[in-house]
Amino acid sequence: MRKQISLLLLLIVAAGFALCLAGAPFGAEGARESRRLVKDNVNYGRRYVSKGLDENRCANIVTSVVLNYRGFDTLGEVTILFIAALGLGAVLYGRRAGASPDEAQRPSLILSTGCRLLFPLIMLVGIYIFIHGHLSPGGGFQGGAVIASGFLLICLGCRKKKLNSVALGAAESLSGLAFVLLALIGLAVGGSFLLNFLPTGKVYALFSGGIIPLIYIAIGVKVGSELSGIIDNLSGEVR
Amino acid sequence: MVSPILLIAVPLALAFLTPMVGLASKSARRYMPAIAMLFNFIVAMSLLPKALEAPIIVRTAGWAPPLSIHLVAGPLGLLLSSLVALIGLLVAIYGIDYIREGARARYDVLYTLLLVGATGVVLTGDLFNLFVFFEVLCISSYALVAYRGDSAGVEAGMKYLIQGAIGSSLVLIGIGLLYGTVGTLSMADIASSVGSVAGSRLFISLAFMIAGFGVEAAIFPLNAWLPDAHSSAPSSISAVLSGVAIKAGLYAIARVVYTVYGASSILPFLAVLGVVTLLVGEMCAFAQEDIKRLLAFSSIGQMGLILFALALSSATGISGAVFLIISHGLAKALLFLATGYMIYRTGSRDISSLAGMGKRMPIMSLCFTVGAFSLMGLPPFVGFASKFTIVRAVLGTGSTFFITLLAIGLIGTVIEGAYFLRIVQWLYFKPAPEAMPEQTEGRAPLTALVPVGLLAVLIVTIGLLPGIVGRALGPAADDLLDRAAYIQHVMGD
Repeated sequence: MRKQISLLLLLIVAAGFALCLAGAPFGAEGARESRRLVKDNVNYGRRYVSKGLDENRCANIVTSVVLNYRGFDTLGEVTILFIAALGLGAVLYGRRAGASPDEAQRPSLILSTGCRLLFPLIMLVGIYIFIHGHLSPGGGFQGGAVIASGFLLICLGCRKKKLNSVALGAAESLSGLAFVLLALIGLAVGGSFLLNFLPTGKVYALFSGGIIPLIYIAIGVKVGSELSGIIDNLSGEVR
Repeated sequence: MVSPILLIAVPLALAFLTPMVGLASKSARRYMPAIAMLFNFIVAMSLLPKALEAPIIVRTAGWAPPLSIHLVAGPLGLLLSSLVALIGLLVAIYGIDYIREGARARYDVLYTLLLVGATGVVLTGDLFNLFVFFEVLCISSYALVAYRGDSAGVEAGMKYLIQGAIGSSLVLIGIGLLYGTVGTLSMADIASSVGSVAGSRLFISLAFMIAGFGVEAAIFPLNAWLPDAHSSAPSSISAVLSGVAIKAGLYAIARVVYTVYGASSILPFLAVLGVVTLLVGEMCAFAQEDIKRLLAFSSIGQMGLILFALALSSATGISGAVFLIISHGLAKALLFLATGYMIYRTGSRDISSLAGMGKRMPIMSLCFTVGAFSLMGLPPFVGFASKFTIVRAVLGTGSTFFITLLAIGLIGTVIEGAYFLRIVQWLYFKPAPEAMPEQTEGRAPLTALVPVGLLAVLIVTIGLLPGIVGRALGPAADDLLDRAAYIQHVMGD
């Protein structure tokens, strides 16, 4: 009986949501509507696409939006990831000391050699992705995730290897600090936080986009070290 | 002039720096949160007089408001960020010696970031940025609630995490729907264009946002996480969660309802919710035997009263609400901080274990009593001044609906008086048990006595001279009520 009542309630709620959301503007119709509604016919998405290339000289418009027009949000998002990694560490702090590590089977020669062979290649791909974040799809978050996957491989494949948590923590702190300081230099030089104060160079060149590639490198290092830190925390080894 | 964005950027940089400082000197690291909040308090207070004249608009990345994210450091935003910094500073000083176990390095960073999140929420002028800082605030709260790593803490943190995550998702969906409708994220820009959209298309996003922010603000029936979370956390964290974090949720609701949507038709509903929250919170508090759970439920009750006052839609009403945010923040922070060392001393959270505390910890007990009397609304403490403003505002509206609600709400205040007097009775008029479990490490050090004493002094001083904050309350209320001025300040000419 109780099951049926809760199912019925769920159906009523679902029907209510469906009815409400049916009228919500999305897709082509939504875009048409919003263009009509916004004052002076300015659609900010379109404006970023049409003017972004000239304003930041950054070939990847998404990067231009993420790190310049809405860069302040990105600073907050990087902070959220930082908090998540820290919080995990804080909660697991007491438990790690007591847990005994499972007797791990020694990795075979093929496994450990294969991991060592792949590790530098994975690092290379990760670093390539975040250094070219302003030119091609990808960027700091994606590159950082690739780098962390390399550390995960080492943790799984070469079981005796431990990550250096002090170095990871230092990389995490310094890259976060670099992001804030780059943004603050903009405030000191041009009176606006996150101002793109460096010469923006030629579009499509590696050295273009002003501070955007620098920030993406900082984010890449930060995300990579944070995710590796999470792997380190969850690997359940006694310190 | 310093830019208000430093209120966010500098503590953030210091939080990132804290682990590095810890590598050099472990004892220096413990002072980092206090340094960050001292900086914020000085800067926020120095900016406040200017903001009372006109809000300070801060651009990011050099673009004019609707195009990029901007901060709006108005009277309300700066007043609340001063409060955040003040409570944050005092609790940070208290935390220097109070936190003895666990991952101390992570505590200092998470604590600073929690306050950065609260500051960002009250200062931002962009709806999505509001969500980002709200998440900074919430996620650091989840981690800090579970900081001790014991089963009660982890359970409370998990409950809070699940409910908070659902709330945040609702907010995100609401923002997405609104963005789909009006095509912009700047609050002032949205406010200027929602007028031309049919109300039925806005209602869902508004409902999602109120429900989502309502979880953090602990509005009934979304308050289930709060008693566990606030009572399982270390007392210094309970103090900032009750004193600061839940107010950020209410601020977000008020900003969205008044400024972004201008939805005055939903206000009576919020007023009813407020009174129900008040009654539920106070009645549950009355039944508690655990001192920290009692304080947590009492916070729910006070949040209800603040929501009710915010929903009055009159300048006096909102002034009263902001005043109550300040007075409740100070008093509840004091109560949690004083309780922290009493619990260390007795090793128990039962109210009955407080018997004879008035003799054993005279200063803490005196300060606790000041805080309790202020929350009850006794003169000459600040709680009286703020509650009186709200009563005056309700009588000023002359509407039978609000006066009836207030009459019902006053029952809650009576219940509140009953349980706080009961605690004071235990503190002073019950003999201490024969064999007291005496724990020497429970003696309160100077770093605990100074913040608790300062909070008590502030409660009495502002209570006697309400003019100190009174000057800022009027402009703060106008900041919410006067949409046209807000839009004009942000969007320019």
